[in-house]
Amino acid sequence: MMETSPLFWLIALPLLATPLVYLSGHLAQTVTRRETVNGRVARDVALAALLACWLPFTWAARELAHISAAHTDALTFGWGGLALRLDGLSLLLTVVALGLGTLVAFYSGPYLAADRGQEKYYAMLVAIVGIMIALGCAADLFNLWVWFEAMAVASYLLVAFYHEQPTSLEAGVKYLVQSAVGSILVLLGIGLVLAHTATLDLQEIRAFVATQGALSPMLLAAGALFLIGFGVKVALVPLHTWLPDAHSQAPSGISAMLSGVVIEAGLVALLRSLGPLTAVAGTATAWAVLLACFGVLNMLVGNLLALRQTQVKRMLAYSSLVHVGYMLVGVSVALFTGTAVGAAGGLFHLFNHALMKGLAFLAAGALLYTLHLAVGDHNPLTVNDLAGAARRYPLAALTLSLALLSLGGLPPFAGFMSKWQIFVAGFQAHNGWVAALVIFAALNSVLSLAYYAPLVNSLYRLKSSELVWAGKPMPRTMSVALALLALPVVAIGFWPGLMRWLTEPAGLALMALFGK
Amino acid sequence: MTLLNIGLIGVLGLLGVGFYGLLTSRNLIKVIIALQILAKAAVLALLVAGNASGQIGLGQSVAITVIVADTIVAVIGMALAIQVRRQMHTLDVVELARLRG
Repeated sequence: MMETSPLFWLIALPLLATPLVYLSGHLAQTVTRRETVNGRVARDVALAALLACWLPFTWAARELAHISAAHTDALTFGWGGLALRLDGLSLLLTVVALGLGTLVAFYSGPYLAADRGQEKYYAMLVAIVGIMIALGCAADLFNLWVWFEAMAVASYLLVAFYHEQPTSLEAGVKYLVQSAVGSILVLLGIGLVLAHTATLDLQEIRAFVATQGALSPMLLAAGALFLIGFGVKVALVPLHTWLPDAHSQAPSGISAMLSGVVIEAGLVALLRSLGPLTAVAGTATAWAVLLACFGVLNMLVGNLLALRQTQVKRMLAYSSLVHVGYMLVGVSVALFTGTAVGAAGGLFHLFNHALMKGLAFLAAGALLYTLHLAVGDHNPLTVNDLAGAARRYPLAALTLSLALLSLGGLPPFAGFMSKWQIFVAGFQAHNGWVAALVIFAALNSVLSLAYYAPLVNSLYRLKSSELVWAGKPMPRTMSVALALLALPVVAIGFWPGLMRWLTEPAGLALMALFGK
Repeated sequence: MTLLNIGLIGVLGLLGVGFYGLLTSRNLIKVIIALQILAKAAVLALLVAGNASGQIGLGQSVAITVIVADTIVAVIGMALAIQVRRQMHTLDVVELARLRG
């Protein structure tokens, strides 16, 4: 039943609103012939659409909680070629995409006020939220690929939003070429799976694979293709080169979305596609080791590259690599031990990373806006620009520092709690290698403070530079958005149980994906 | 030689041509053409896979969707190429290297 499924409305609402957002903005400008009215109208419609999505969301969450009590684990929706399942993992991605998307739509008003083509920005923002919700719910490889590609297309347009800036174009081209090759590799993997198993449904593939004594070379090759193809979007280390460019050149609201949700959506897609292939008895450890290796590489390389950055947004982009590493460590611990604690920890970190990195990018973006963009200057924001910014912009400096300290894993902030859960899960495995892995992750967490702390120091302790005093005042909308996002970062730090309703079902859903 | 074998040779050939083009071209338009050739290899691979497994309809429906999707990617790639040419007065991808570190 199409009309009575919350899942249908959850995805259809933003997708149907997309053309509406564009048209309303466009028409408003043609009718009134005023310059900036397109952005304001488009933003209002986009915000209304995203806020309206919370209705089917609460409906879906309640229904999911209701059916979990009855021991079936997912809401399903099928119509023609669409096959969607909403489980705990999808719900987590939905919360992250919808929450951050709503705040970004709210925040972007003043940020983009002077730019042309704002109606396209808001239309794509609403579209990408709907697409990511659907990606999280994909029940077969075909849906997974289609939504993944749609997400990529929407994000190409958003990355190259400043299409008159050579650096944005360069970032857009690099992103498009690498991501397109990745998605073709995924398709080849899907071809191999189809040829071998004669189905694309993830559960049927799992059932097929479970009957095999060993993973056939074809499925192994498919797994490798999925890992590389989706790995481009997740920024697994040798495939990460597009990420710092794209994340630093996009408008800051989009940097927050890319770093906070898009790479996580890629991770969910990767885990969903690899899940069925882990069904062969006795191979879970091998997959766990593989994911752990990528986790270690991501943490190490991300930290070392972030250390030498002088541009704030570029540094934050590299730190995303590190945090993907922590999530991979959590997932691999879960795969190794077969318990949901590590999975819940990794996914709790996914949620917290969206909050922290979203906040960091929005706060850095607010400072970039007041110091550079508002005076028509498209130069990047450097660490030196921020010297003493706390005196002029207390709220932005405070929220940026909160986000950075939380990213660095200092208690009592959200980032500490999820890292702690991953570490505890690792030690509970009672295995020397896993213990070494989480100790390595903990050391990396300390290392990351080496680039977060100087930034906080320069915000508060250095003498304010002339650039800071010459900056424009902070728009109130931005301050409200920053405060709204900073609140959960601190609250989850004090009450980490607050998100258990979300992360525990997500962890269980991930374990179900791995057949545990 | 069966139809499947011919298809497989076609897939591998297209992949070879596509990756060779991707790695050797410096012109952005040529890079996008190479991406299109790779996408065509994927389309052919899906058709072959559908035939090989007896799920002909499934393979074909996926292939048609892929054709639509990669056309969109090509259009966006071309739009970016136009902007690159307008703003930077070159289509040489080697010169697109201002962002470093």
